[in-house]
Amino acid sequence: MSLQLILIIAFSGAFITYLLGKLSHRVRDYFAVLVSCALVVIIALFYGKSVGKTFYLVFLDLPLFLELNTLSWFFAITIAVMGVLSIIFSLSYIKGKERTDFYYLMMLLVNASMLGIVLSGDLVSFYIFWEIMSWSTFLLISYNRGPALAAGMKYIIMSVIGSAAMLIGILSLYTTCGTLIISEIAVNITSASSGYILFILISFVIGFGIKSAIVPLHTWLPYAHSEAPSPFSAVLSGILIKMGTYGFLLIMYVVIGLKAFLELGSGLLNFHYILCWLGAITIVIPTFIALLQNDAKKLLAWHSIGQIGYIILGISFGMSLSVAGGIFHIFNHATFKALLFLTVGAVEYRTNGVRDLNSLGGLIKKMPVVFIGALVGAFGLIGIPLTNGFVSKWLIYKSLILQGQPFLAFFALIGTWGTILSLYKFLHNIFLGQLPEKYKNIKKAPFSMQFPIIIFSLIIILFGILPGIPLRVVNTIVTSFGFESLNVNLWGIASETGALNTVNIFAAIIVAGIIVWLIFKAGRKAVSVAQDDNYAAGAYVPPDKYHYTVDFYNPLYRMISPFLRDFVDKFYTKLAGWTRNLCSGVRRLYTGDVGNYVIYIVLFLALLIFIQLNWSIW
Amino acid sequence: MNIIGIVLFPPIAFVIGIFFIGLSRRIMARIQWRYGPPIIQPIIDIIKLFSQRSVSHGIIFGLGIILSLAGSIVVVLFLPLGKICPISNSGGLLVIFYLMLLMPLGAALSGGEAANPNTSIGISRKLILALGYEVPLLLILLAVMTYYKTISIIEIVTIQQSMGWSLVSLPLLLSGIAYLFILPAIMGVRPFELIKAPQEISSGPIVEYGGNFLALTTIEHALSLFIGIALFVNLFLGGGGIGSISLQLESLLTSAGLGCIVSFLTGIVFFIKMLVVFVIVILINAVYPRLRVEQAIKYLWKWPTLFAFIGLVIVLIIRR
Amino acid sequence: MDRNKLVKWLKAPTKMGHKYSLHVVYFCTGCGIIEIPPVITSRWDAERFGVIPVATPRQANLFLITGYVSVKTLKAIIRTYEQMPEPKFTVGFGSCPINGGMYWDSYNTIKHLDKYIPVDGWIAGCMPRPEAIFVAVTHLWTLIDKGMADGYKKYREKYKYYRANQEQLYGKMDWPPLFPIEDKDEPNPS
Repeated sequence: MSLQLILIIAFSGAFITYLLGKLSHRVRDYFAVLVSCALVVIIALFYGKSVGKTFYLVFLDLPLFLELNTLSWFFAITIAVMGVLSIIFSLSYIKGKERTDFYYLMMLLVNASMLGIVLSGDLVSFYIFWEIMSWSTFLLISYNRGPALAAGMKYIIMSVIGSAAMLIGILSLYTTCGTLIISEIAVNITSASSGYILFILISFVIGFGIKSAIVPLHTWLPYAHSEAPSPFSAVLSGILIKMGTYGFLLIMYVVIGLKAFLELGSGLLNFHYILCWLGAITIVIPTFIALLQNDAKKLLAWHSIGQIGYIILGISFGMSLSVAGGIFHIFNHATFKALLFLTVGAVEYRTNGVRDLNSLGGLIKKMPVVFIGALVGAFGLIGIPLTNGFVSKWLIYKSLILQGQPFLAFFALIGTWGTILSLYKFLHNIFLGQLPEKYKNIKKAPFSMQFPIIIFSLIIILFGILPGIPLRVVNTIVTSFGFESLNVNLWGIASETGALNTVNIFAAIIVAGIIVWLIFKAGRKAVSVAQDDNYAAGAYVPPDKYHYTVDFYNPLYRMISPFLRDFVDKFYTKLAGWTRNLCSGVRRLYTGDVGNYVIYIVLFLALLIFIQLNWSIW
Repeated sequence: MNIIGIVLFPPIAFVIGIFFIGLSRRIMARIQWRYGPPIIQPIIDIIKLFSQRSVSHGIIFGLGIILSLAGSIVVVLFLPLGKICPISNSGGLLVIFYLMLLMPLGAALSGGEAANPNTSIGISRKLILALGYEVPLLLILLAVMTYYKTISIIEIVTIQQSMGWSLVSLPLLLSGIAYLFILPAIMGVRPFELIKAPQEISSGPIVEYGGNFLALTTIEHALSLFIGIALFVNLFLGGGGIGSISLQLESLLTSAGLGCIVSFLTGIVFFIKMLVVFVIVILINAVYPRLRVEQAIKYLWKWPTLFAFIGLVIVLIIRR
Repeated sequence: MDRNKLVKWLKAPTKMGHKYSLHVVYFCTGCGIIEIPPVITSRWDAERFGVIPVATPRQANLFLITGYVSVKTLKAIIRTYEQMPEPKFTVGFGSCPINGGMYWDSYNTIKHLDKYIPVDGWIAGCMPRPEAIFVAVTHLWTLIDKGMADGYKKYREKYKYYRANQEQLYGKMDWPPLFPIEDKDEPNPS
């Protein structure tokens, strides 16, 4: 059992699936699910072990290594579970569309390259797998033609800029430390000056920041996530943007090290403090922009940006509680964001591609399982107690408040209310309210779509009631970075300054629920009525005209939308426009007329002779 | 002691809440130069509602209200009344803040199932108003938590017994005044009574409720009145004690073995404080008309937010 | 105590609830509505009887039909009456619902409201004074005590005939029947 086995299974599984698809579709489907399940099983068998450097390939005279520690295992298991559940969902979602073999190839390739990133032990293999992930994502975002092509272009251009910045960092690390193996760089870099560390940090932060969409670098995300096919949006929002946060953790705590990172900068301008404030702004502004959206997937995509802000805030704050909260939130956000995108996918599948919030409604009566999934996902995203989102957010808030940073805590807490408003609009416009006439006959979602939704809901609730199970793994990661250990038991965290006991809360809510249900039954049984037996001031309810969806928060829109335009996007578009004007200006030199080119050559020679005669350079 | 507290707290909170509703109708009537209904009128209403046979629009229609009422009962268990706090060591003010989110969410889910635009408009107003008062409320709560360096509400109450009420201590004075300004919004009385608005949106989220559901909504309204005022009294008015005199009296009585009399007396003092605050809020309710949503938010994000912000800055400066 | 007395003692709180907490639907039928605002405001305070107006029929027990009932308004009245939860009481206010009143020979008003929805009591006058409403409310309490305020039970049992009368007036109704109608031969009640 070795690490190379994982990568071999993953990559070869992708290509064999493509080839099998040419033979028969059913065999390809089963094989894809089999490969993903095998990956989950193999990675689960590695729990608790950590493997040192294992050499596997030589590339350009450089030996490449793989490595597994608890941080990699945490990410790998998330990637594998997300992969298998989204492949199961795509079994019915993608059926009947064109180029389905290509779709499965790309999904499995993205999966495999992400596993390669977290398992890589040196920076060259990290970069190679990063690039494979980037362009296979681009190909998959542009899968549905049309507006998806423009979204994919935006994504790939920004991703290439980020990879270029990362390459600068990697090359400069090679020249300074002479090696590219991550564990050896961590030893060598302690002797570098703080200016050099700052330069390395900034080049990597730009690279990882573009991938994980922090605020000035986030503009590709809403378009890309909304135009991609829904199971892939789940993978994108779930785990692909977290690769950026994996990079952050790698650079900040594994390579540079805890002490050097936290002391970088002076006084109030500590580098990690600036990152915290970037995270805080990333929480607030995109969450409120999500309120204004009319497209279900764009709303969820803006929320993804917001929740990354929580992770960045937790990770950069530098206390063991907040780092634990940030790392746990990586897993949590993967579960509930993937769940929400899968529910939108199920609705899209049954209504032939409609995801406009202004025209759906009342689907709870037709698709109850999808509604329950969306409800649990929404509760997790808001952070209601008994879901795992609450635990990770509680950890972040507690460390922020007890360290005396109330303004950061305020930004984090107000994000919750923006989340509540926009997720209620999402739930109401799709599932509650009146059912339009044209959707009166849609069927329930097929079982292969219900299965991942149910699994994700169970994970969210289980880890909300018993958070000790994942928190033990997170504790190991946090202590491996050098922070102090948290006092984790099965139901929460015990400490002197306020403990968390989720089983208490769960028991209280269940008992209170039972008592209230008994009181409810004490009254007389209610009569079930049809949807059109509704209060309409004595008149009969007109069909299709009694649903309130458009401009759901109209008074609030008028007040806050002037402040919530996407300034950064406009700035980038202007920048791209200037570049294009400059380039078209330069293009005018190429007139196509040979006479002009001869004059250019003669003038240039004259200029050289003039310089030589006057200043004698050569 | 804990089990007795857990069992007794919700009925006590319910009785106090119902008493407040009845008292509010009576006081409003007297201000308007008429006699009002008897103070037990809400109980008669609830009895009548339980014997009515109403309509239901689906499963979530009932489950939403059950969720919201269950959430408010659990929040009541987390708030200390005098000296008793049934569930004390499970997360403090943050858990209370997050459990209070269950109440509007449950009502929102059940109202959405009713498929009536009046409920949808009412719920959008409720959520926007909640966003409006949460901005100053969060600044106030953060000021209190930062000043006392704890997130547990029992510790805040205990510290106030030795250090004096928060409302009159210098750093938290502005935060307390800001909290008084937003208290009508939290309780849903005029000028912020836009959620139920019978004349505009036909009772908003409760337009399709009859019988059982309306009875549970009334119980939940009583409990949310209790929660809103109890939070203020616990954080800013010392919740159950009257300064250092009571500390000496308490130690005297506890050493004499009369612990339950201590709890009883602190409960009475707590109730008197809640009554004073509630009467002030009802007097404001009697005089003001109803604001629109955007006017309400403009007000809530202007002066109370400014006071709460300055209060937080003062706490940070003094704490350093 | 025997079983009947025990049942009566257990049902007493519900009877008290029905009596002392009558919520009125704020439905302005005709010209009689002008007498309602003085009743519910400070001068003749109805809230001390437990009577307050509510905005929707789903929360109400008492339906006051104030003034004349035109053919158009009767549709809204039937719809509102059917949306109220049981037990519900109806009181006709003014002489127009009783026998047509001032509009006794108009083509457009309903002369006998009792054919379309069941009515528990009438208040005569054109318009009655606010004190007449209080007399009606206290009389309704006596009827509830004796169990004689059972208009809603009559509506449930004899729904076939109420619905037949409504359909004779309007042709096909917009909404389906409230209770299932079986075809059984019974003598006409009214």
